[in-house]
Amino acid sequence: MLSKKVWVIALVLVLLGSSVVGAAPLAQEMTYTVKLGDNLWTLAEKYLGNGAAYPAIVGATNKKSIEDPTFAYITNPSLIHPGWKFLIPSKEAAEEYLATYVRPAPEKALPTEITMVDTNSGSNFQAYWQTVVLPQIEKDLGIKINYVVSKSSEMMERMKAWEKGKGDFHLLFVKPSHVADMVEEGIPLETLFPDRLDVIPNLAKCPKEYLKTAVGVPIDGKGALYWRSQYTLIYNSEYVKDPPTSWKEFYERRDEWRGHIGLMRPNSKSGSGRRQPYSFLYAFLGDKIEMPFDELKETPEFKDAWAKLTEFYAAAQQPLAPEPSPNLFERFNAGETWISFYAMDFCLWSRDQGTMPPTIKAGFLSEGMTAGSDGYLVVPADIPEKYKPVVFRLINYLLSDKQQVQLITTMWQYCGTDIWDKVPDEVWEVIPRWEDVEPTRIRMTNKPLVDYIKEEGPALLGGG
Amino acid sequence: MRDFLRWQKRNLVTLLMLAPGLASFFGLFVYPILVTIVRSLKPEGQSAGWTLENYINFLSKPSARGVILLTFILAISSTLLSIVLSVPLALILREKVRGHRLLRLTILVPITVPGLIGAFGLLLFWGSRGWVNLFLTQFVPFIHEPIRVNYTIPGLILFYVWHYFPYTCITTLSTLESLDRSIEEAAAVAGANGWQVLRHIVLPLIMPGILAGSVLTFMAAFGSFSIPLITGGNYRPLSVEIYTQIDVFTPARWSMASAMAIVMAALQVVFLSLYMRILRRPAA
Repeated sequence: MLSKKVWVIALVLVLLGSSVVGAAPLAQEMTYTVKLGDNLWTLAEKYLGNGAAYPAIVGATNKKSIEDPTFAYITNPSLIHPGWKFLIPSKEAAEEYLATYVRPAPEKALPTEITMVDTNSGSNFQAYWQTVVLPQIEKDLGIKINYVVSKSSEMMERMKAWEKGKGDFHLLFVKPSHVADMVEEGIPLETLFPDRLDVIPNLAKCPKEYLKTAVGVPIDGKGALYWRSQYTLIYNSEYVKDPPTSWKEFYERRDEWRGHIGLMRPNSKSGSGRRQPYSFLYAFLGDKIEMPFDELKETPEFKDAWAKLTEFYAAAQQPLAPEPSPNLFERFNAGETWISFYAMDFCLWSRDQGTMPPTIKAGFLSEGMTAGSDGYLVVPADIPEKYKPVVFRLINYLLSDKQQVQLITTMWQYCGTDIWDKVPDEVWEVIPRWEDVEPTRIRMTNKPLVDYIKEEGPALLGGG
Repeated sequence: MRDFLRWQKRNLVTLLMLAPGLASFFGLFVYPILVTIVRSLKPEGQSAGWTLENYINFLSKPSARGVILLTFILAISSTLLSIVLSVPLALILREKVRGHRLLRLTILVPITVPGLIGAFGLLLFWGSRGWVNLFLTQFVPFIHEPIRVNYTIPGLILFYVWHYFPYTCITTLSTLESLDRSIEEAAAVAGANGWQVLRHIVLPLIMPGILAGSVLTFMAAFGSFSIPLITGGNYRPLSVEIYTQIDVFTPARWSMASAMAIVMAALQVVFLSLYMRILRRPAA
């Protein structure tokens, strides 16, 4: 308190002094690009008439950088680089800022290195984080990220053992079910929406229902939606000229592609083993699929849908594709598999990488297509306080339009923010429009049915 | 009295020197096995109470017998094929033919390549558009259709042999190279032909090497995971089934997986003791 008082007194004296000296004070704010040899003190002296007023430049620039990332974010005032863009406030605004400004204790300087744990990305997004996004973050924000790939169960155990304020990873990138698990297990997480909207303004562009619930569990804004992953029809246009537009059509025309339909083992580790039959059953059962499984199983509709599913699987390429996706992709490469239902982003990215045929396309099945694992950014509440502003800034950056559009144009992944008018039109020539996909997104909510598919699927559908 | 003290001292030293070995034996072998046994006797998802239901549930499943049989078929046939492949190879390498050093190094490749990578490589190599089929369909008359190797039992055995035969081959080779050549010469002088020398002199003498190596191959093949996971298709031996219990089902079925692991270990021990007993006889 005393130091604050002393500081304010000193400031007033200095400001008085400066007005006496009468430098050239700025009447209006201006943008300034750093040149070699500049430092904040001399800039403040030059434009605000007082070197000690430099925190006003730092404050104004940092505030501006949240809405416009071309502006620098200054974490260490003694270290600035030529080329950085500053916002120099008007003298009046600077005085106003300094009147309430509290000089931070030196040890409170914001950290420039944080640890991020990823339990969600497949190999495509692990590569994307490491080769594209992390270098961009380092360049644009000056934050270095230790990127760690891990398993959610392991992370949960570690977080449970944390002492308050001692958490050692600062940002998590996880599946919706993982957010739900953490909330249900009572692991403290920062409530981002709406509590942190002031520092993460881009969060306002995320759809509210995704921030409120994840896999049916209320998460009350404890995560930011980074992307939405979608399963779609995947086909090789070299062999399939006229792809089906609904599951029922896919089923009726199965003989056209007999032996070339690529389906995954029902008990594979990949969720596709369940997403494929679940989507198929949904097409024939509709909302009835939500019935308690014991009752559902006895209905004639279910028996009929399951019989059709069995016929459909009998038309698939045998044996069903085993564990990892490269197996399925290799069958596409060999020309053995022509058509499948799989994670759209992974398939199209692999096509761009040359690990899937160049003629691969994504299609739409009207009754419904299962959602993939949406990606949530989560901040544990038990990390040291000084990391939080940095992490919030990072989240805001990841939700910025530039980053979100880059997701869909380079990775074929649907944005987490609703900024569809900013997406270039060419994208929609390759993938289904979001407004078509969104209403038909299915989530596998009937867990006993999912377990039934895992357990009995191999014997009943193939792969046993 | 003095003798007794000396004896005691010597024992103490022995005990101290054994300590690191014993500690790691208990810590890395006995303890994990005990944990697995205890887990296998607990009801699924609970820590209280004791039950045999995991074993009963697994063994009474009609598919269990098929899985166990498949595991044995794969392990035994790949072990036998490894021996058949290793003995002639070792005999050739013993003669230090041109390029034998390169060949010796090449033999080690399958064990140095990680199983997962090797499995993918094999799938590509033997696939319908792989090099093998490309060669067959292009250059061999009467073969127009690619032959199917991937996801078949013979294919799986082939991949197993590729991955696990080096154990047998290396031990067979080292035993063969330590043989005293004059014994074979003596047999030849006494009138034995090449086949007879091999059958009655060389093979019995290198039998311990073959046995030791093939036991290694058998154990590795019995527990093989990445090869059948990726190249097995519908043929999924015990190791893959255990993994399914943990990584596919949520919540993970640790008790069932533990029971299956104990069954697997028990089968392996029983089979190996029988195998060693049978094969030791001719050498003795």
